[in-house]
Amino acid sequence: MSEPSPWAIEAEGLGKKYRRGWALRDCSFRLPAGHICALVGPNGAGKSTFLSTATRLVQPTTGTLKLFGVPVSDPAVLQRVAFLAQDKPLYPRFTVAETLRLGRELNPRWDQALAERIVRSGNVPFTARIGTLSGGQRTRIAFALAFGKRPELLLLDEPMSDLDPLARHELSGLLMAEAAEHGTTVLMSSHMLSEMEVMCDYLLVLAEGRLRMAGQTEELVPAHLLVTGVASGDDGVPEELRRQHTVVESKVTGRQFTALVRPGGPLSDSWETLSPSMEEVLLAYLRSPDAPTLIADEARIDGGQQEAAA
Amino acid sequence: MSANSTAGPADTRRTTSATAAASGPVETAAPRRGLPRGLAWLVWRRHRTLLRTGLLVTVVGCALFAYQRIGVMDFLHTKGSSPGADGRLLTDFQSNFGPMFNSDTQYLQFLPFVVGVFLGAPLIAGEQERGTIRLVTTQSVSRGRWIAATLGLPLAVAVLCTTLLSAAFTWLWSPAHELVMSGDWLQSGAFESTGPIPVAKTVFLTACGIALGMLIKRVVPAMAATAVFAAATSVIWSEKVRDHLGTLRSVTYPYDGGGPDLPPSSVRIDDWVSTADGKLYGFGTCVNGDTTACRAKLGIVNRVTQYFDYAQMPGMQWLGAGILLALAAVVLALVVWRAHRRPL
Repeated sequence: MSEPSPWAIEAEGLGKKYRRGWALRDCSFRLPAGHICALVGPNGAGKSTFLSTATRLVQPTTGTLKLFGVPVSDPAVLQRVAFLAQDKPLYPRFTVAETLRLGRELNPRWDQALAERIVRSGNVPFTARIGTLSGGQRTRIAFALAFGKRPELLLLDEPMSDLDPLARHELSGLLMAEAAEHGTTVLMSSHMLSEMEVMCDYLLVLAEGRLRMAGQTEELVPAHLLVTGVASGDDGVPEELRRQHTVVESKVTGRQFTALVRPGGPLSDSWETLSPSMEEVLLAYLRSPDAPTLIADEARIDGGQQEAAA
Repeated sequence: MSANSTAGPADTRRTTSATAAASGPVETAAPRRGLPRGLAWLVWRRHRTLLRTGLLVTVVGCALFAYQRIGVMDFLHTKGSSPGADGRLLTDFQSNFGPMFNSDTQYLQFLPFVVGVFLGAPLIAGEQERGTIRLVTTQSVSRGRWIAATLGLPLAVAVLCTTLLSAAFTWLWSPAHELVMSGDWLQSGAFESTGPIPVAKTVFLTACGIALGMLIKRVVPAMAATAVFAAATSVIWSEKVRDHLGTLRSVTYPYDGGGPDLPPSSVRIDDWVSTADGKLYGFGTCVNGDTTACRAKLGIVNRVTQYFDYAQMPGMQWLGAGILLALAAVVLALVVWRAHRRPL
């Protein structure tokens, strides 16, 4: 085998068209291995479609997708990836032990000890049937099945959405600990922006099937400023601001405007500026699908040969 | 190549985890690995209640047929196996074994229906309905191997069970075939419940059930659709297909003479009247009014009876089974193709 690719995901012009239209379009980015990456976007943005193409559940209409240098058209890619669908499908009549056996029978790199440890740490009895478990316990078994596969890339579709706060906290801790221990790259979609801020160090934002933002959190978030000032001009936002900087989103309340901008240079002193949180930046992008895209150099598929995003 | 390189470390890991589990006092999740393994284990585990029931029913059915054969053979040895001219033996046999053969053939004719509805329809629809198809197809095995195991194992068990049952019933029926249902092997059910026909029907209906389930993606509607489909095909089969599987033979005899003189165990299909040069008229021609003048005008001098000979039965059964198996192969190929190409 050749030496491992430094890129967990490389998408190039990836697109998927369903009968009702494009669910994913012109998606080009790469994700370096070892990151915990958040996949953010409103419902119908193409998150699940992207995860499905990465797990061979859906064939892309256009473009290519490589995981660790292996194209997804090659079934060998399945060994490197584990996928946890949103509803965590498991066979309800199987016992916990049988569910782990399923993982062992179907995966050559299976780590039984690891899977058992995850089950045991949640005090889930091995003889219990899946159908009798609580939502949190089921998710734990699904995690055990995913980690037992020893994946290099773990894809999670809204893993915590149907859990109570306690189970959510417990399982996020489990996820972070296991991912850190094994150096697993994680890509998870979620609507819980505040949790993503704590867990993730990489961001992919999708809206209306297109990639809006990609890059490391610590690079993307500080690239934005929240600007407040006195409203002027047609829509309240001063012309000067619009000319020199990229306005992602703006809002006018009475005589005051607030805007999230990507500064293109030093800002004038006449405005008050604040550093936004990741949640504020994400919300601004989700609310304004027409905002210009921001792809960090590292995440560009052509390695930053193009000039940086305007 | 890659399969070899991955098998080595995986095996050692299995043994190390097994020894760790054996030495530790902790509760172990690792039951001993027996056969079957891999995907076959998963398919067996998913359907084990149904498959075990099938095997049990087969054993019980075969034992029952063997037991019934003792009584039948006893009867045939003491009273003979050919119906006499007066039909006393037929009546005697019918009163002793008629209901038994009736329920046996009904059971064997019902079997393909049950297998198609309860094994075929939920096979893939069940995975789609619960979403577990996304679980199994995202493990390390390819879709091709998954669909092969998912279709292969249940179909193999169905073929095994129906072959055994059909063989056992054929063994019970054939010595007494001249007496069972008065020797009517075509329409009374013997044609459907002996030889290759039960196997072929089971494979065909199971394949169609799988395909319908895959398209409908819901277990209960898929079972209902398979049941309707099975009923429709059974009507088409008995009305349109079965009587065309062989070439009718005919015997001609004088209009006013005795007859027809059919070979033993042949099945009479149709009667005609005919002219001296063989032109056929319906059986009801010239039965009203001045029948002699009418016949003289048309030149009718003979009666003709068309029949299937008992010797034609195996040929007709294998032809019918071949048609059903070919259709089943087409349906299964579509299922495999769709499982490969389309998201399920």
